[in-house]
Amino acid sequence: MAGDRADFLIGGAGAQHVIRGTGTHAVTGMGQTRRRAEAAVYGVLFSAFAVVGVQLLVLAAGRHSDIALAISEPVAATSFSRPDIVDRNGRLLATDLEAPSIFADPGVVLDRDEVVEKLSTVLPDLNSSELMRALSDRSRRFVWVRRGVSPAIAQKVHDLGLPGVSFRYELKRAYPGGKMAGHALGYVDVDNRGVAGIEKYIDDKVGVDPVHSAVLSNRPPVRLSLDLGVQHALEDELDDAMRRYQPEGAAGAILNIKTGEILASASLPQVDPSWPMQALDDKHIDRMTGGTYELGSVFKTLTLAMAFDEGLAKPDTVLDVRQPLEAGRFTVTDMHPSRRPLTVTEVFTHSSNVGAGMLALEAGPEKLQAFLKKAGILEPMQTEAGTIATPQVPSRWNRATTITASFGHGIAVAPLQFAAAAATLFNGGKTVHPTFLRKFDAGTADGKPVISAATSREMAELMRANVVDKDGTGGKADVPGYRVGGKTGTADIASKGGYTSNAVISSFLAAFPTDDPQYLTFVVLFEPKGIPDTKGHRTGGTNAAPVTGELIARVAAQLGVAPEFATARQ
Amino acid sequence: MRLLNVAAFFFAVASALLLYALNYDTRRLEAELQAKERQADRARSDIAVLKAERSTLARPDRIDELARRLGLGPPRAEQFQHGREVSELSERQGSANGR
Repeated sequence: MAGDRADFLIGGAGAQHVIRGTGTHAVTGMGQTRRRAEAAVYGVLFSAFAVVGVQLLVLAAGRHSDIALAISEPVAATSFSRPDIVDRNGRLLATDLEAPSIFADPGVVLDRDEVVEKLSTVLPDLNSSELMRALSDRSRRFVWVRRGVSPAIAQKVHDLGLPGVSFRYELKRAYPGGKMAGHALGYVDVDNRGVAGIEKYIDDKVGVDPVHSAVLSNRPPVRLSLDLGVQHALEDELDDAMRRYQPEGAAGAILNIKTGEILASASLPQVDPSWPMQALDDKHIDRMTGGTYELGSVFKTLTLAMAFDEGLAKPDTVLDVRQPLEAGRFTVTDMHPSRRPLTVTEVFTHSSNVGAGMLALEAGPEKLQAFLKKAGILEPMQTEAGTIATPQVPSRWNRATTITASFGHGIAVAPLQFAAAAATLFNGGKTVHPTFLRKFDAGTADGKPVISAATSREMAELMRANVVDKDGTGGKADVPGYRVGGKTGTADIASKGGYTSNAVISSFLAAFPTDDPQYLTFVVLFEPKGIPDTKGHRTGGTNAAPVTGELIARVAAQLGVAPEFATARQ
Repeated sequence: MRLLNVAAFFFAVASALLLYALNYDTRRLEAELQAKERQADRARSDIAVLKAERSTLARPDRIDELARRLGLGPPRAEQFQHGREVSELSERQGSANGR
């Protein structure tokens, strides 16, 4: 209207007068118009900025709400991503793989009976009644049918075309080696969390990452001390021993004598880490760590080491072992009683219980107990694969327990714990702690001293003598070139009120090469049978010793031990 | 003043356009990034499967069986020679061959 009026005034009669007469008014009108135009421009500009601002706010608010949602969601991870496990040479032992999991939405499932019936055709071991009950609850929107199935099974379920049945990808632990090193590796639960063995160690000490979907771990792999090739050789030889000597079980380990690294550890029957329920069965326990056993004469290595180190005897010291020893209600005799006095070396090579008992009595219960404690036999022990079964030791150390402990009776330890203590005797006398983790500063034993280097040297020579002497019990463990030394063990199995007469635990402890011991093997057979090859005998010298010989012949080269005649020509 | 206003107006319009362009560009790049990340995840998953398959194929128990079928076995102690002897042997063979 203001504009119309101005035009009228300018164009109408007397306009000049008006203009001239009301010059101030005209200027004022133009100024107003200009201000209005400017205001309009500013309005447009403001609107533009406002629109852009609002857009930015909307954008920012949108992003913010996403973040807020992510934070406010419950951090209930459906799964955990885990680092790979590799052997000492980087070969894969365990890894995470994406695997489809099947779930159902009860709210969308049309015909429960049809869904359960058809799923059962693809998944025969499906708990139909439980799934039916879960699907009946229409208030639920998510029910797991089966987690971590193979792609082939997932495809078959997909092909059923069931409405309300769907898939999501999750991480599933895979063990490419199958049963290999199954006991040490342990296993994981359905959420991919470690439950036992190295897998549990990873959860406790290395770390796993909670994930909502199948996201692989970025953590570096966990490198074990195990050597896959050596592990296979051990398992294969033990498997062979299971067929040949038909024991209830067989176990063995190979240790680096100086570092305590476990190159191989096996217990047969094996367990498959992919089928953890097996591990709960008594037959499948890890006999290297999960049970304690009276190991018999292999303990004489500790008794003699103590006697040498305490200065109670030398290898040529003569002992009159012709008379049996009275130990409480037992009478200790030798399997093949000698008709003459024996040197301490012969006590070892003839495996004289009486001789070992005499040396232990010479030291006394306190010294024997203190020595065994120093060697790490009496205290609970732990490795990355879990706690080793607690040693069962005499509650009172008296004459009887001192004698029996000197040849490995009345004291029960897990074979791995014994092997670690035995390693101390041949590495220069320093304690080692068995470990399943690769050590990169390997080289020398740096534990606490248990015996002197000289005693350690004497023990290695004694072990070698037991293999090469014609009267030695370990002759069948000899491997030309590799200077094997060893000690047999044959322990009666304790039963109610005494010992069974027809079941033994036979074992063989070996160190090689004895001129500078690097590795220790310990093979244990549980209740082996006498066979024609052993002339019906079940002693360690007839079964565990040849198994050890074959094992060392197979792994020595893999472990980098040069045969003697190769080095002799240098 | 007018020039300034006009310039500001055009600047505002240009800014708005630029902002819109950047906004869309960002969204497009985000989508591309997500696609690449999905691709990388897929590749990582494939690599994990391939690694597991390779490890399964290279299992010592499998290789052992195959090697034994070919008449191979663990190395025997007498098969080892010191490096110096090997080089001496090859030198002797070399001179015997007239080299």
